[in-house]
Amino acid sequence: MTPADSSIANTPKIIPQRYDAQSLAAAIEQRFASAVSPSANGENRFDLALIVTQPEALPSLAQFMFWDAGCSFGGLIVEEREEWILRYVFRIPGDGWIHFILRLPLATRTVPSISAQIHAADWYEREAEDLFGLEFEEHPRLGDFILHDQVWQEGLAPMRKGFDAGQTHLKKRPKEDWHPVLVVQDPGAFAMPVGPVYEGGIGESVHFLLETVGEDVIRAAPRLFYNYRAVEKIAEGKSVLDVLLLAERFSAKSAFAHSLAYCQAVERIFQQVVPLRARSLRVALAELERLRHHAGAIAAICQSTALTVSDAHAAIVEEQLLRASCAFAGHRYLFGLNTPGGLRRDFDAQNCGNLLGTVDTASRQLQKLEERLRYSSSFLDRLEDVGIISQESARDLDLVGPLGRASGLAHDLRRACPYGGYERYRFEVPCEKEGDGFARLRVLFSEAQQSGKLIHQAVESLEPGEICAPVTQPNAGAASGWVEAPIGAAMHWIRLDREQKVERYRILSPSFRNWLGLHVAVEDFAFQDFPIILATFGLSASECDR
Amino acid sequence: MAAYAGSALLLFFALCATGLVLSSVFRGRYASLAIAWFGTLCSIVLIAAAAVRLAAGADFHLNLWTLNGFGTLSLHLDALSAIFLFAAGLVYLSCCFFAPDYLSRDGHPAGRYGLLHFALMASVVLILTAGDVLTFLISWECMSILCYLLVNYEQEPEGDSTAGYIMLAMSEAGFLAVLIAFLIAGNAAGGYSFAALRMGAAHLSGAATWGVFLLGFLGFGVKAGLVPLNFWLPRSYTTAPPVFMPVFAGVTLNLGFYGILRLNADLVPGHGIGPGLVALVIGAVTALVGILYATTENDLKTMLAHSSIENAGIIAAGIGAFLVFRNSGNAVPAALALIAALYHLLNHSTYKALLYQGAGHIEAATGTRDMDRLGGLIRSLPALSIVFLAGCLAIAAVPPFNGFVSEWLTLQTFLRSALLPSAAVKIVFALSGAILALTAALAVTCFVKTYAMSFLGTPRSNWESNAEFARRPRFSLTLLAVACVLLGVLPTYVIPALNRAVEPLAGASATASLVPPFFTATQANQQLPPAFLADFHNLGAQTGARWVPGRGLVILLRGGEQNPVVFAMSPSYSVVALTIVLLLSWFITTRLTRRRSLVKNEVWAGGIPTLLPEMTYTATGFSNPVRVVFQAIFRPNIVEDTRETVAVHFRTAIRRRRDETHLVDRLFFHPVGTIVNSVARLLAGMHHGRLNAYVAYVLGFLILILVLYRVG
Amino acid sequence: MSSWFWHGVRRGIQTTRYPGAPETAAGVSPGRPLPTTFASPEQAFQAASNCPVGAISASKNIASVDLRTCVWCQRCHFGSSNLLNWDEGYEWAQTPATRKDYSGLHSAFGQSLHVMVVDAGDCGACLHEVKQLNNPLYNMHRLGIFLTATPRTADVLLVVGPVSENMRGPLLKTYEAMPEPKRVLAVGTCAITGGIFGKSFMSAGGVGMVLPIDLEVPGDPPPPLAILHGLLVVAGRKKLTTAPTQTREEA
Repeated sequence: MTPADSSIANTPKIIPQRYDAQSLAAAIEQRFASAVSPSANGENRFDLALIVTQPEALPSLAQFMFWDAGCSFGGLIVEEREEWILRYVFRIPGDGWIHFILRLPLATRTVPSISAQIHAADWYEREAEDLFGLEFEEHPRLGDFILHDQVWQEGLAPMRKGFDAGQTHLKKRPKEDWHPVLVVQDPGAFAMPVGPVYEGGIGESVHFLLETVGEDVIRAAPRLFYNYRAVEKIAEGKSVLDVLLLAERFSAKSAFAHSLAYCQAVERIFQQVVPLRARSLRVALAELERLRHHAGAIAAICQSTALTVSDAHAAIVEEQLLRASCAFAGHRYLFGLNTPGGLRRDFDAQNCGNLLGTVDTASRQLQKLEERLRYSSSFLDRLEDVGIISQESARDLDLVGPLGRASGLAHDLRRACPYGGYERYRFEVPCEKEGDGFARLRVLFSEAQQSGKLIHQAVESLEPGEICAPVTQPNAGAASGWVEAPIGAAMHWIRLDREQKVERYRILSPSFRNWLGLHVAVEDFAFQDFPIILATFGLSASECDR
Repeated sequence: MAAYAGSALLLFFALCATGLVLSSVFRGRYASLAIAWFGTLCSIVLIAAAAVRLAAGADFHLNLWTLNGFGTLSLHLDALSAIFLFAAGLVYLSCCFFAPDYLSRDGHPAGRYGLLHFALMASVVLILTAGDVLTFLISWECMSILCYLLVNYEQEPEGDSTAGYIMLAMSEAGFLAVLIAFLIAGNAAGGYSFAALRMGAAHLSGAATWGVFLLGFLGFGVKAGLVPLNFWLPRSYTTAPPVFMPVFAGVTLNLGFYGILRLNADLVPGHGIGPGLVALVIGAVTALVGILYATTENDLKTMLAHSSIENAGIIAAGIGAFLVFRNSGNAVPAALALIAALYHLLNHSTYKALLYQGAGHIEAATGTRDMDRLGGLIRSLPALSIVFLAGCLAIAAVPPFNGFVSEWLTLQTFLRSALLPSAAVKIVFALSGAILALTAALAVTCFVKTYAMSFLGTPRSNWESNAEFARRPRFSLTLLAVACVLLGVLPTYVIPALNRAVEPLAGASATASLVPPFFTATQANQQLPPAFLADFHNLGAQTGARWVPGRGLVILLRGGEQNPVVFAMSPSYSVVALTIVLLLSWFITTRLTRRRSLVKNEVWAGGIPTLLPEMTYTATGFSNPVRVVFQAIFRPNIVEDTRETVAVHFRTAIRRRRDETHLVDRLFFHPVGTIVNSVARLLAGMHHGRLNAYVAYVLGFLILILVLYRVG
Repeated sequence: MSSWFWHGVRRGIQTTRYPGAPETAAGVSPGRPLPTTFASPEQAFQAASNCPVGAISASKNIASVDLRTCVWCQRCHFGSSNLLNWDEGYEWAQTPATRKDYSGLHSAFGQSLHVMVVDAGDCGACLHEVKQLNNPLYNMHRLGIFLTATPRTADVLLVVGPVSENMRGPLLKTYEAMPEPKRVLAVGTCAITGGIFGKSFMSAGGVGMVLPIDLEVPGDPPPPLAILHGLLVVAGRKKLTTAPTQTREEA
């Protein structure tokens, strides 16, 4: 194991220079002239794409992009075609995306790792190693990530082309003497196992090993991917509309947001222009989903602190919004509405009026609940100064969504890279600085209020018009669609072949990013605080596992 | 009858000497046989001597020889000695026969050990039957040195012998204090036999009595393991060889209390309640400190050492209560207190010897004493787990074992402080009682942790099971376990035996106060009016009168007209009732209810494939809350708290180490050591090597003597 | 702190009257597709081809739906031609395809049923609907139904999700850790046939591939009242009144 890189440990606190796409491309070309060249391939016409010609330059390039230029790391997309295509996605603050494309011959198995420079890339590289078999040099820990060593043998690489997804009776050779990698070296330390069948009422299947010497949790390592259903693999070869079903159903609590990202990606490939009415309704539905999701997250936080009356009130609000979604759109979780080109159904004025009434009631009730909670000192005691993620840690791990915004990272894709009509509306992006549980709760409440206002603006600005644009240019190609899902920034990247079948489907989900931050927040807190910190994170295991 | 006791004693000495000679002359197997047979015979004879003396009721006295100027060396066997002899005999019986097995298991030559073993046995008996100061002190000194030799028995030449050395140093310091105490007492009495001291105690001034008490109590307190003089105890108990441990814990600890009782209760009783209060407070503090460190300790032997300190504290508190009650005129509570203390002493010998032998077996079977590395032994050592459980339950004061009776009696004694006039004294009693109650609760925690971490759960490390592990030593453990049960279930037979020693010291008969004659009383006596007897007979107190000998099976203290029963209990009847209830439940659930199938399934752990040992509670984790709550006492220093990382976000290792200094070391040993060192350094300034200065010293000293002679 | 009591009391009783009276509030259930008679076989065939998962089968001019495969994509509800009729109910529990009847638990469980919920690769919606049963609007505690934290005290194993391979082992261990008598309730289309994830190397294709199922509740996700109906059938307080919808083999 190499010792901590001193230049990383003492990263100077420079204010990253404000770049836009052009100046950044120029700066990159100037500094990394030999290693990077612009992409001549026109398939990525909506993003800025640069080819990395020297793989060894990747770490320093990553360092420049993340720390000097202040970009956010979007994710790693690996494709196996005639060669390996590794696509590193970065988001320029306020101005769009840059993709760095690394092409390697198929015989290459090792790639330089950028996880020392960009810590958020740690899990992306582990995922690529498990699913594709690529080795990332100097990565601190590879293996036993998605395909658990207790179930699967090493070297499976299921995402490779030669692997048949339909083989249901795969011979498994699990590791017999598996032991967890324990970090705490105290002689009396032990790791208390929690889950995956979670003993807390209803929880998603996540396994925790809480390392402790008896009173405090010194380290909590989550073991995820119990819900891994290989969505990206089973999508290959399916038609666009079939994969839309997958996009809705891999994480149904943000179903509309993910289907929106998927449809936007397809619309970019087919070069469809979504009608204005559809865009406004899409905004209203997305914000309805966000409002309902945040009400549920608030209910979960109240339940974890055992303040049952507030949990009941928030749960009532959430159930009313679920019923309103069903009455408005026909399904409680808004399935079956999005389609490439717009929406599949239209809504009349009375329906919209009922929806606004319910949304107003919900917003009012949430506001009253927030006021009452602010005066409950025993409740605040459990949340304030508990599970703190500092702004430096949040930036270091590149956290997204309400979690990042509670720690001072004011990033919101609706503001930074406006999509689907958000540029027409006025809303605020609430942001807090403390990074503790109470800050996250305040962010949830504020965002819920903003969602209510956005629904009003969207519905009240509805103009009669088409609801869906037809497909006129069934192109092949690749594109990405992004969305600010309730949990954070999500991106769906698709490559379609000539018959409009999906060749590669990649989901970069926000929960995958934010789970990485859990161990920072729970270090050195007592056992009783662990479920509360977990509830304030508001993460989804199925969204991370896919 | 007394003559029989005396002849038994002399027979013991003869057998002991023979065993000593045979085991040192022979080699190898014959030496082992000599130790085994002669040792067992010696202990049987000891028990017989004690039993005969307790049954007979008359003392045995033997004058050995008269020395000019020192008086007569003599042996005197009275009831107090008999009780201690019985305890010693029981412990020796359990471990003598198998000492050779232990020696061969641990790889030691038997001959040298036999020499030390018999010599120590002889010196212990001499201490307990000494009739005058000189015999007592000489055998005490022999005992100290022999203990030192035995503690360091296992050490390699390069080994660490500081533990034994500290013990020897403290023993010598205690011996000096005791010597001075005896000198003061003997000076006032004019003779040095115990009989003379007893008669001369009345002539001692108040200050001299205090001096004798303090020097005697603290001097013997070193051996008894009282705070703040017991910092040698955990160290030596940990390094002593397993073959010596039962004797070390079960016999030599008692000698300290024998000395305290002999000097401060029998020979020089004293008048005020001050000494008693001092003993009480020291006892309570000792108990608490002992159990706190026992609960947070992971090494089996060190934990048992701290637990011995706790038990010593309880005995000392009982002795303190006895002194207070006696000197304030309450004879019956004094008898009660002394009964409780002696009972606890007897119990401690049995269960501590049992636990130490069990710990020795565990170490031999697994190679480790660290509870953090043990676990799951109930599957590989099932018989040992049963007797060890008996020992743990006994020391945790769970009925129907013996620890329960003596702790219960001790706490009841403290409640009797209501009879004392002074409010301040009552407060001291109340606080000490509260501390002892806390100690009892912590003792349960400690031994639950010990048993659970060693025997239950999954094994935490791999060890090869010792297949050639001898089966026969189980007899010794079973004997002690059965003794624990019998002492706990039949207290009404133990109390009259202990009463022989208590009655002359306290002035009241504990048997008459504590064990009402429900079986034997046909007419009323002063203490028990017929109406009272009839009530209890209706409650069933006469059950078993036809089959079981004795006065009765109920322990009961009568208060007076307003308060007929202060407390009452009967472990004997409770055990019978418990057995009946258990049998009845078993019968009902298995015979009278629907047939149910029993399905065995593994431990539910949230669905993970296997519950690995590193996922189960460790001993450190179990006792961590105690460490955290009593942090002010433990005061751990964080020595190391490093977090290794590969990258800033990726920790590979978190290392934490805490260092703790024992409270007694911190508050007493280290400051005293610093003072002594600085004084010594000052004095060392005198030795700078210049011959002229030394000549000047001689001259100066000569002038000083002349001046003093002139003045004096 | 004490003001919370008053806030709760002032809010009043919000709980549904089900099962005492049917629940008619808007939005409690998305409804389900019903077998529909069309004017001509071609239209029925068109209706069947609307379905992306092949849940609709056409025979002459009747189009019927296999709810075990339906993923509630709404394409036969709006936005296409030849739409099916949809009902608004929620009592959807049915016996598995391999069994004809359901053997209920002893009547002692009718007033006290303990449920162990296992997430075997669920998307989050079915699990969330089960969680809604604890909120004041449904409040299954008043019916004596409780969630347990450990399978040792559970009577019913409620499984959601298509059983991902990583969860197969934990699910089996949970089932084995439950004492007799026990029942297994598969909630959601994913738990019955694997749903949109089907059978693959990471998905078993339904709980029935791993454990014996006693009762199914179709839906994607089934609304809370449908899950409650299923639990009441398991507890023996309700009978299975609706005949199971026709399967492809019977049509």
